[in-house]
Parts: sequence; C-alpha cells; structure tokens
Amino acid sequence: MTTDAAPEERFALSPDGTRLALTGAWHLADLSALAPALARLQPKSPLTVDGERLTIMDSAAALALLRALAAAGAQAESIQWRGFSAPHQRVLDDVLKRLAALSEAPPLPRRRWLAEIGERSTVIYRQGADHFEFLGETVAALLGVVAAPRRLRLRELTAQLEQACLNAIPVIILVTLLIGVVFAYLLGLQAEQYGANIFVVDGVGIGMAREFAPIIVAVIIAGRSGAAFTAQLGSMRLTEEIDAIRTLGLSPMQVLVVPRVLALVIALPLLAFIGLVAGLIGAALVADGMLGIPPVAFAERLHGGLDITHVWAGLIKTPVFALAIAIVGCRMGMHVGRDTRAVGLATTSTVVQSIVSVILLDAAFAVLFQELGI
Amino acid sequence: MNTHAPVIEVDGIVTRFGANAVHDGVSFSVARGTLAALIGGSGTGKSVLLREIIGLHRPTEGTVRVLGTDMWRASPAEVAAVRRRFGMTFQDGALFSSLTVAQNVAVPLAEHTKIAPEMRDHLVRLRLAQAGLPADAGAKMPSELSGGMRKRAALARALALEPEILFLDEPTSGLDPTTARAFDALVRSLVDNLGITVFLVTHDLDTLLTVVDRLIVLAGGKVLADGPPREIAKLDDAWIRSYFAIRTMVGGSPSRSDGS
Repeated sequence: MTTDAAPEERFALSPDGTRLALTGAWHLADLSALAPALARLQPKSPLTVDGERLTIMDSAAALALLRALAAAGAQAESIQWRGFSAPHQRVLDDVLKRLAALSEAPPLPRRRWLAEIGERSTVIYRQGADHFEFLGETVAALLGVVAAPRRLRLRELTAQLEQACLNAIPVIILVTLLIGVVFAYLLGLQAEQYGANIFVVDGVGIGMAREFAPIIVAVIIAGRSGAAFTAQLGSMRLTEEIDAIRTLGLSPMQVLVVPRVLALVIALPLLAFIGLVAGLIGAALVADGMLGIPPVAFAERLHGGLDITHVWAGLIKTPVFALAIAIVGCRMGMHVGRDTRAVGLATTSTVVQSIVSVILLDAAFAVLFQELGI
Repeated sequence: MNTHAPVIEVDGIVTRFGANAVHDGVSFSVARGTLAALIGGSGTGKSVLLREIIGLHRPTEGTVRVLGTDMWRASPAEVAAVRRRFGMTFQDGALFSSLTVAQNVAVPLAEHTKIAPEMRDHLVRLRLAQAGLPADAGAKMPSELSGGMRKRAALARALALEPEILFLDEPTSGLDPTTARAFDALVRSLVDNLGITVFLVTHDLDTLLTVVDRLIVLAGGKVLADGPPREIAKLDDAWIRSYFAIRTMVGGSPSRSDGS
C-alpha cells in the first residue's frame, strides 16, 4: 500500500473558508491521523467541497468528513459537492443517505446497580421456583415409572450408572483417602499432647461418617456428574435432539431425566460408603505410622467407638444430595438458551448451584438430627 | 491503484485428500467490482476452494493470488495485511456469541485500526446501516437475532475494515425467499455503490439469475463453465441443464426456499 501524505496536505480550505479541496487517498487505514486534523477545520457557509483530486474515497472516510463538517456547523444538505468521480460520488451518497438514521441511533442503555440487584434477585428467585417445579415433574415421571416399570430405560440407566458411579470410584478413593490422612494427622497433633492418641480413631470415625465422606463425595459428584448432565442435555437441546424425542412421541423426562436422577440417587450412597472406607484407611495409615496405633487396634477401637447410627446419619443424607444435584443439573441443561455460550454459562451455574444446595441441605440435616437427638 | 488487474487469481489448483482428488487444475480470475458466484454439485469442493483462496486450507498444488499477494507463499505478515483488505462471512454467521452485535463489528476496528472510540462507535453504526440492520440491533446478543439478521450482522462485521473483496459462503441458505432477495439486493448495492468485489458460493438459483455478474461452474475437479449466468444456463451440459431445470419446473416463480 502506498504511504499516504501527511493529513494536513490531504485537504485545503480556501482563505475565505467556503471551498474545501480534497486530495489523495481518503480511507479507513489512516483515519486515525486524518480525523483529528479534520476536527480543526473552520468552514464557512455556503461551502463547496471539491473532490477532483481524490484517488481513493471509502465510506469510513466519507463518514469522518461529514461528521467533522457537521460538527463545525456545515450541514450536509447545504454543501455543494463537485468534481467527485462517479465511484466516489456513489460512496458519498451511500453514506449521506444513512447519515440521518445514524444520528438517531439510541445510546446503549446504561446499567444501574439498583436495577441490576433487583434483576439478579428475580432471576435467582425464579430459578429456585423453577427447580421445585422441575422436581415436581421429575417425581411425577418417577411415579409413572413405578406405575409402569416397563417405561424405565434400563439401558440408559446402566450407562448413567457406569459413568456416574463406576467411573467416579478412583477419584473418590483418592480424595477421601487423602482427607482421612490429613484429618487424622491434625487430630493426632492435638491428641498426642494429652496422651489421648486412641481418641483420634473416634474423632476420625465420627467426622468421616457423619460429614466428610457424604459432603466431599457430593461435591465431587456435583462437579463431575451435575456438570456433565447440563452439558449433555444442553448440547442435545442445541442440536434439537430433545425436540426430536418429543416429536417421536416420547417424553424427554422419561428418556433423559429419570435415568439420570435414578442413577445419581443410587450412586451417591454407594460412593459415600466407599469414600468413608477409604477415609478410614487413610486415617489408619497415619495412626499406625505417627501415633503408634496398629491397624488391629484401630479396627477394634472403631468397632467400640463408632456407633452405627453415625454411619446411617451420614449415608441417609446422600440420596437427598443426589436428588438436588441431578435436578439442578438436568433442569439447567433442559432449559438452556439456544447458543453455545449459554451451555457454558449453564454448566458453570450448575456446579455452583448444586454445591451450594448440598451445603444448605447438610445444614438442614444438622438441625434436624440435633432436634431428633441423633 | 490499478483498477483493471484481477483481484482474485486462482491458477492450476489441485487438491487431494489422500487418493481422492477434489480439484484437478482449477484456474480462473475475478476482476475488481464484479459479483462472481461459484457453483457446483455436492462434493465438488466449492467450500474447500473458498477456504484455499482465503488462506485457511493449503492446496496440494497451484497458486492463489488475492489482491496480488500469493496466499501460500507470502510471509505471514503479508498474508495478515491482505486479510485486513478482504472480509468473509461464514454460513451460520460465526458471530462471537459472548459479544453484542455492535461489539462484534467493533472487534476488527479495535484490533487493526487506531481510530478513536467515539469515531469507532459511529463507524459501527454506519456498518450496521450498510448491512441493512436497524440501529437498535447493535445492542442485541447474536442469540437474540433471527437467521436473516445474523447473516446481516456477519456482513456488517465483514464490512468493518472497508474490504476490497467480500467472500460470502452460502449467504442466503436458510433464509426465507423474501429475506433472501433483500439480501441479494443488499450485496448488489455493495458492489454498485461501494465498488466492492464479491465472491460467493451459493446454491440459490434466484441469487444466480438476478444479481450475479459472473458464474463459475465447478465439476469433475475443473472449471466446467465460466460466464454470465444467462449464457451458462443455455449451455448444453447434462449437469448444468438439470441444475437450471429446477427453475423451469416450478414455473419460474421464486417460491423455493433453500435448505442449508
């Protein structure tokens, strides 16, 4: 591309200010240099613009010229255009034609923080209400399966169980084992000072059984399966697969949602139990190495110190956590907006919402168990 | 600037995917200010050829020159410079879904020019108007647009840097006939009023017969025919005859909609 002359040499205003001569190339590429020079222009009416010596004139440059002239008080209607070659004149006319519409363009709406808070609160409220509605739909679909067990998609259920349960076992074992190690180590540091090493077993046992195993497993599954549900169902909605299921006379709730919800409700208690065992093994390793409690003594103490109600109190919570995760994950996927960005946003939102609901439910259970004296 | 030299030169293009030869010596050139269309049956490599011309897919043999630059032998900097001088719209718009329409159009302006933000806003509005979008469309997200508006938004983005050439991939596919004809008229006005060269790949016979200056027919890996649409329609070739016969079958009424 040819190098352009300095902006000041590209136009010349006659001494009386009524004649503006344009020269050379006027195009987008060097508009940034041309625009500030144009802004200093002081034309007088009636103005004649001479385009005889222009070599290039594109619509961006025409817009910049017209805006600079308008800002200096020369209205487009009163300007005489002369000497423009036919192509340049057409570009100029094209921009002139649209100029009126451009100035009327509404400014982008400015966000106000109060309105934003209100808007977001409504969204959160509606989302909560929608989750409950979806829960109702799911329960109705589940009852439909109970009434007619043949409607249960066994193949889909097994596939989901494999993905949500079987494939999750390694990561569950790894995480809970390490949590057991860390927990026993921290308790051991304190207990050693009082010579109460053996109580580490009680502490780890109750802690893992009641809280750590269920919560940690639920959080992992929320990130793993909840997000997967949203992403899968969201992409299926994007490719209109869900509409196709409906058109074929099938119920997406029966075909897609019920197997996923059931799979998670079955999987989570099993995984939480595996997590509990792995956590206790981790604790036993630390007890053996650091506190001088051999595995046999650990098992014996666990047998005497850990009441089975603690295990049940922990496990009983997990199907409820699973239901919350599956409902959030499926609904976010089924109701996602029809573009790629919406699927990403919905998946993120699923993880946040399901983890928060797991913690909230756990708090509710804590209050309930307190009242029941468990 | 030489206004008579061809802006697109395709010379001896050969494309092979494994043993399968898609192009076997495709050559043509397109002069400045022309509205040219590339047609051909499924699997004749129209889209591949388009991707080769704009430098997204390397041909097995042959040269492609866009605005005088050899797209496959020039340095990356030279190719980048040429890319700023042409615009491209993809079949489904390929708008950035996280940005508003106005922000989409502003992306090339912000990346490649030093224009002040205030002037940029006005230029974005001019582009939206040139693409035939109402002023309030700028604040919308791509997901809120209809198919026709999405194509127009993509056109506005392709126009942002004042391109000398516009490449359009199936510009009217998936549009209803009325919207498609309006889009045709818009593309024609870009050629007539702004002097832009347009090269499009299409299946839309109405586009071909109403607004296109020149038709390039791809068949059997070669250019089968090249010339004004009305003359091509008269040629005695089995594929061309059956292609244009669809038009006479519906009695010449523009009532067919084109699926993508």
